[in-house]
Amino acid sequence: MTVYKYFIKMALRNKWLILSNTLLFFFFAIINTSGHIQEEMSFIETKLNIGIIDNSNSPLSNSLKDYLESKNNIIDVSPEEEIIREQIFLQIVDAVVVIPEEFEEKVVSKEKVIEVYRDDRKAESIQIEHQIEKFLLFANATHEEGKFDLNAIKSALSEKVNVNMIRDGSRGIDKGTNEWFRYYFNFTAYVTIACYISVIGLVMADFNEYNIENRRKISSKRFLRFNKELYLGQLSLAGIITFIFILGSIIIKGKYIREINFNIYLVNTIVFSFSILCLTFLINNITRNKFVTNCLSVVLSLGTSFISGVMVPQQFLGDKVLTLAKFFPTYYFVRINDMQTSSLLGVKNDIFMQLLFGLAFLLVGLYLSKTAQEV
Amino acid sequence: MVVKVKNLVKRYKEIIALDHFNMEVDEGEVLGLLGPNGCGKTTAINCILSLLSFDKGEIEVFGKKMSPDAYDIKRQIGLVPQEVSVFGNLTVRENIDYFCGLYIYDKNLRRRFVDEAIEFVDLKDYVKFYPKKLSGGLKRRLNIACGIVHKPKLIFLDEPTVAVDAQSRNFILNGIKQLNEEGSTIIYTTHYLEEAEMLCKRIIIMDNGKDLVSGTKEELKAMITTSEKIIVSFSEIRDETVSEMKKLPHVIDIEKDGDDYMIKFENGFNNLTNLLEFIKEKELTYTKLHSQLPTLNDVFLELTGKELRD
Repeated sequence: MTVYKYFIKMALRNKWLILSNTLLFFFFAIINTSGHIQEEMSFIETKLNIGIIDNSNSPLSNSLKDYLESKNNIIDVSPEEEIIREQIFLQIVDAVVVIPEEFEEKVVSKEKVIEVYRDDRKAESIQIEHQIEKFLLFANATHEEGKFDLNAIKSALSEKVNVNMIRDGSRGIDKGTNEWFRYYFNFTAYVTIACYISVIGLVMADFNEYNIENRRKISSKRFLRFNKELYLGQLSLAGIITFIFILGSIIIKGKYIREINFNIYLVNTIVFSFSILCLTFLINNITRNKFVTNCLSVVLSLGTSFISGVMVPQQFLGDKVLTLAKFFPTYYFVRINDMQTSSLLGVKNDIFMQLLFGLAFLLVGLYLSKTAQEV
Repeated sequence: MVVKVKNLVKRYKEIIALDHFNMEVDEGEVLGLLGPNGCGKTTAINCILSLLSFDKGEIEVFGKKMSPDAYDIKRQIGLVPQEVSVFGNLTVRENIDYFCGLYIYDKNLRRRFVDEAIEFVDLKDYVKFYPKKLSGGLKRRLNIACGIVHKPKLIFLDEPTVAVDAQSRNFILNGIKQLNEEGSTIIYTTHYLEEAEMLCKRIIIMDNGKDLVSGTKEELKAMITTSEKIIVSFSEIRDETVSEMKKLPHVIDIEKDGDDYMIKFENGFNNLTNLLEFIKEKELTYTKLHSQLPTLNDVFLELTGKELRD
């Protein structure tokens, strides 16, 4: 087992490469996922700086003004459109509300009543439109015999709503916890590709170096036995790396494992690791150049992770990007994590696709390896 | 017969790397493959070791046909390639142990062989060093240790002293002599004449993929017409006197290089005495004079019309 022993030894001499990737992974996993959970669990209403131009000066418009004033900071603004737009651009105000002259009539006839200029760069500026819609909804509801019941509107608007984040009723799983695991395991795709290709690739580049390979070829070690030891070395190393990532999730969020379908994450990660190990095998049979291997490690880990939805969720990616992503196992790995299903049968197609990719990489790699061995 | 190569032909598309190359190596001898860079020495070795396929010919090693899966033959062969071929990520000892492990599976025997190889190349003080920390000469020694650690009966050394300082070169050459004395048959490729003359019992001179001649160095030198060269530097000499000098007994040719005249003699006696008498008779003044026996370069020059180092 000399070959196996020295394969592992040489791989571990690249421990800084593994450690830096792993530490970076855990750092980002912890930082980013803590942000995710907070986003899911709370909602904060912020006060905006708004301007109101009331051309109606009716009881209803005054009531609206009072309501908006209670929710926002009111800033004096000019009625001229150009100045309004400039003030929004300069971020002096977040939104300007223009109430038309025949406001009450228009509310009754359900026409588009109020014109709102808002700063699209600020996502929270949408809040002002929601407040106006809410006010108009109640106003319409209280309109009776040609009059609005302003007290009823005020009373309805002052009702407080208590929002409690509830667990997913179907499975009793905290959405935040599930989100953490989804994000964590999606991100292992990136670090697995980077680690496997760079570490295994660099060691294999040494073993495949022309003169060292020639020394092996003239030795009495049978090719099959030599390869067996090398593959066992690669498998062991891949196992160690994948085990670290799985163990990481258990250490960080071990107490929630029973609340999620950890088995699916586990099977998915192992299958994905297998397909990436096969991809690494293929790359090692295509190139012996360490520089090319390093470049492929960066390009494939970042590239496939990005187009497959590791960094940006798949639903936000374009059709063409997703079509391209389907040619890499990462896409199917992320899809399984995103499904959050409880049944292995539910993800069998995507598991099968990853295995198919692995097998294809392996077969092409074996063919290239055999071709290279021919004297 | 340890190695027998008959009519070996190797082509790279239109280029003929080996052109009906023949070679026979007896047990216990040091055979030199001598030729300029690119003449086909390494190609010949690679074909013999089944690292390269060939188009025509026969190769036998230890009386058996050589092939990529002839593992019983390979067990008895060692290769020291031209390039230093070791792992940069393994120490000196680990490198030697790894290459020994490709032949020897018994742990204790391997440990003993590794210790002996380290001793042999005198790298005891560097066992924990990584190759990049070693000097060129020490790297070459490591390269040799990795090739001979399993105690092969037949060793191929492909230009093992390229880019090595004089001290390391002597160390390596003495080591090769010692390996031969211990019973190993050695095939040594080089383009250094002095090394081939010093080390090899028999020499094959190669050019353009062909084995031009083979024999002991004495046999090779006897094949050429020039048997002695006298180099003399005259302070002043007329062309007519040079023409008269050409008529001296056994003179084949006179070549001028600055003030130096190289007078070539074919086999005969009293060449120097005859020349000195001629100088005295013509009252010529000379600043230096020395006699040279023919070298392998002269053999190569006469056979190919070019210098070995061209």
